Amino acid sequence: MSGLTLRSVRKNYGDVPVIKGVDLDIAHGEFVVFVGPSGCGKSTLLRMIAGLEDITSGEVSIGDRVVNEIEPRDRGVAMVFQSYALYPHMSVYDNVGFGLKLAGTPKAVRDAKIRDAAKVLQMEHLLDRRPAQLSGGQRQRVAIGRAIVREPDVFLFDEPLSNLDAALRGDMRMELARLHNDLGATMIYVTHDQIEAMTLADKIVVLDGGVVQQVGSPLELYNNPANLFVAGFIGSPKMNLLELTSRPEGNVSSAELSAGLALNRGALAGTSLTLGLRPHDLRVAPNGPLNGQVRLVERLGNETILRVSLADTTEITAVLPGQDEFAIGQTVAFDFKPSSALVFDENGRRLPSPG
Amino acid sequence: MTDITTSLPDAQPERVRLPPSRGSRKTRMAAWLFVAPAFIAYAAFVLAPLCMSIYYSLLRWDGIGEAQFYGLSNYVTVLTDSDLLQIIGNAFQLVLYFTLIPVLLGLAVAAAIRSHMAGRFGTITRTVLFLPQVIPLVAAGIAWSWMFASTGLVNQTLKAIGLSSWARGWLGDFVWALPAVGIIGAWVLLGLCTMLLVTGITKIDPSLYEAARLDGARPWHEFRYITLPGLRQEIGVCITVTVIAALASFDIVYISTQGGPGITTTVPGLEIYRLAFAHRQVGLASALAIVLMVLVLISIAPVQWFTRDKK
Ligand SMILES: Nc1ncnc2c1ncn2[C@@H]1O[C@H](COP(=O)(O)OP(=O)(O)OP(=O)(O)O)[C@@H](O)[C@H]1O
Ligand SMILES: [Mg+2]
Repeated sequence: MSGLTLRSVRKNYGDVPVIKGVDLDIAHGEFVVFVGPSGCGKSTLLRMIAGLEDITSGEVSIGDRVVNEIEPRDRGVAMVFQSYALYPHMSVYDNVGFGLKLAGTPKAVRDAKIRDAAKVLQMEHLLDRRPAQLSGGQRQRVAIGRAIVREPDVFLFDEPLSNLDAALRGDMRMELARLHNDLGATMIYVTHDQIEAMTLADKIVVLDGGVVQQVGSPLELYNNPANLFVAGFIGSPKMNLLELTSRPEGNVSSAELSAGLALNRGALAGTSLTLGLRPHDLRVAPNGPLNGQVRLVERLGNETILRVSLADTTEITAVLPGQDEFAIGQTVAFDFKPSSALVFDENGRRLPSPG
Repeated sequence: MTDITTSLPDAQPERVRLPPSRGSRKTRMAAWLFVAPAFIAYAAFVLAPLCMSIYYSLLRWDGIGEAQFYGLSNYVTVLTDSDLLQIIGNAFQLVLYFTLIPVLLGLAVAAAIRSHMAGRFGTITRTVLFLPQVIPLVAAGIAWSWMFASTGLVNQTLKAIGLSSWARGWLGDFVWALPAVGIIGAWVLLGLCTMLLVTGITKIDPSLYEAARLDGARPWHEFRYITLPGLRQEIGVCITVTVIAALASFDIVYISTQGGPGITTTVPGLEIYRLAFAHRQVGLASALAIVLMVLVLISIAPVQWFTRDKK
C-alpha cells in the first residue's frame, strides 16, 4: 500500500518561492492529475516527489516513509518524461531493461519482465530498434515500458502526451487509463490539457502560482469550483465571468441580473461580485437578461458555439445544442437557470449559489 | 546517362519521368565552376606535393644535383634502419601522452562541470583550459623548457616538497625527455579536447541523466552509459586531432629538445626536416614522409570507423 503525502512542501530557487506550501494526500492506486497554467510549478512539484529537485522545507512521504533524504532510485517511483528521455545508444530492449540491469536482476528474470512489459504495451516488434527509429507514439510506449518494468509504487508522468498529435494523444490517453486499471498503481500525472485531466483523473489538483487552488474529482471541480481561478480554468470553452456592480446601465443591467439572482438582498448588495456562467448553461430567450451581437459562429455539428459581445463590449461564449442558424451581427439574447450561475466575491472566493 | 535510358527500344514501357532539366549541361558546368577553386587549391597544395613526394621518394637525390632512380630502396631503409624505426616508435610513444592525457582529462573535466555549466565556475574552467590553445606553440615550448630546466619550476617544486632526488634536467634526460615532451603536448592539446568535450556534453539531453538516476544509475553508470556514448563523435575528433598531432609533431620537439639527447626525442617530422635540409637526402626524407602519412592514415581509420554513427 503506497499512498503519498505532502506536508507543507515548499521549494525556493534562491530567493524565489516556486512552491509555496503544498499539502496533499494521495491514496494508493489513485490517478491524480496536476493541472495549472504554465510556470505554476507542476513539474517542480512532480520532480520533488521523484527526488530530482530537493525540497526546501516540508515533508514528502511515500507509503509510510519520509523520502526527503532518500535517493530517487530508492523511492519506488518511476517517471515518464515529456521528452521521453530514452537512452539513444541503446536498443528498446536495453532501454526498458536498464534499471533492472543496474539493480542486478538476473538475466532470465529481466528478460521475462521486459517481454511482459512489451506485450502489455504492444511493442514486442520494436525491441531491437533504437529510439531514433521509432515514431513519437512508439517512443512514448517505450518510456512507459521502462517505467513499468521497475514495478514502482508510484508512476510520475510529466506531460507525457504533449509531443503527440491529437489523434494519437486520444489513443494513448485511453491506454494510460487501461494501464492504470490493470496495474492498480498510484499515478501522478502533470498536464495542462483539460481533457486529459478530466478524463484520466480520479482526483485533480489545480495549482496556480505554487499554491494548490483546489483538490477534487473532475466533476466536483466542474460543478463546484472553489474560486474564480478554478472556475475559469476547468471547463471548455471557458466559463463566462461577468462583473456585476462595475457594470454600467445598458442592455445587461446589473439590476436586472441581480434581481433574477436574488443578490440584491442583505450584505451582498453593492459589493462587487463576479458571476460565472458556463457557456453550456446559456439558453436563447428573446427577453433574456444577457443580450448582444453575434461576433463569431462556430458550427461543430452537434452544437454551435457563439461568441457574443454585450453592450459594454465584454464578450461571452455560449454553446447551443443543434445547428440553429445565426448571422454575424445579429442580436441575440440569453437567459440561464439561476441555480446554474456561480457567484464569487471580490476576492474570487465562491459564494453559495443563488436561486 | 539520361540520353541512354530514353533511347532504349520500345519494349521498355514508357515511364513517367521528369522533363530533362532545361540546362542540365549548364547546371553541371555551374557545379564544376563552384567546385573548381577549392579543387584547384587542393590539387595545387595537396595532391601535387603528395605526388612529388612519392616521386622523390623513389630517387636518390641531394636536392640540387643530378637525381638517380633508386627504386624502393629508400623505403627499405626507412623500414629497416634501427634509428629510423626508433624515431617512428618515439612518435607512437608520444601518442600516449598527446592523446590519452587530454582525452581522459577532458572527459573528466567535462563530466565534472556538466552540472555547473551555467555557473561562472564552468566558464572560468573552460577559459583557463583553453588558454594554451591561444598561446603560440613556440612561446609555450620555450616556457616549458624553462620549467623543465635543472633550476626550473618543476625541480624547484620537487625540492620544495622534499623530493630533491627526483630532480633532474628533464629535457636532457635519456629516459625522461620523451615523457617531458609528451607532457608539453598534452598541456597544449588539453584545451582543445576539453573545449570539444564540454561543448559536446551540453548537447546531451539533461533528462537522460535524470531518467538514469531514477533507474538507479550511480555517477559511474551515468558516465559509462550516457556521457561516453553521447560524446562518441567528439571523442573521435579529439583522438583524430591528437593522434595526428603526435605522429606528425615537429614544433614542440624542435623547440624543447631538438630531438635530443641522442635521438631519444626525435620524431619523424623532425627527422624528415633534417634529412632533407641538413643531410640532403631528399629521397629518404620523402620516403619517411610517405611512410608517416600511411601510418597516420592507418592509425586514424579505426577511430573514424568506431565513431561513425552506426545506423
Ligand atoms: N532551475 C530553476 N531555477 C529557477 N527557477 C526555476 C527553475 N526551474 C523552474 N523555475 C521556475 O519555477 C516555476 C515553476 O516551474 P515548473 O517547471 O514547475 O512549471 P510548470 O508548471 O511545469 O510549467 P509548464 O506547464 O510550462 O511545464 C517557473 O516560474 C520557473 O520559472
Ligand atoms: Mg512542466
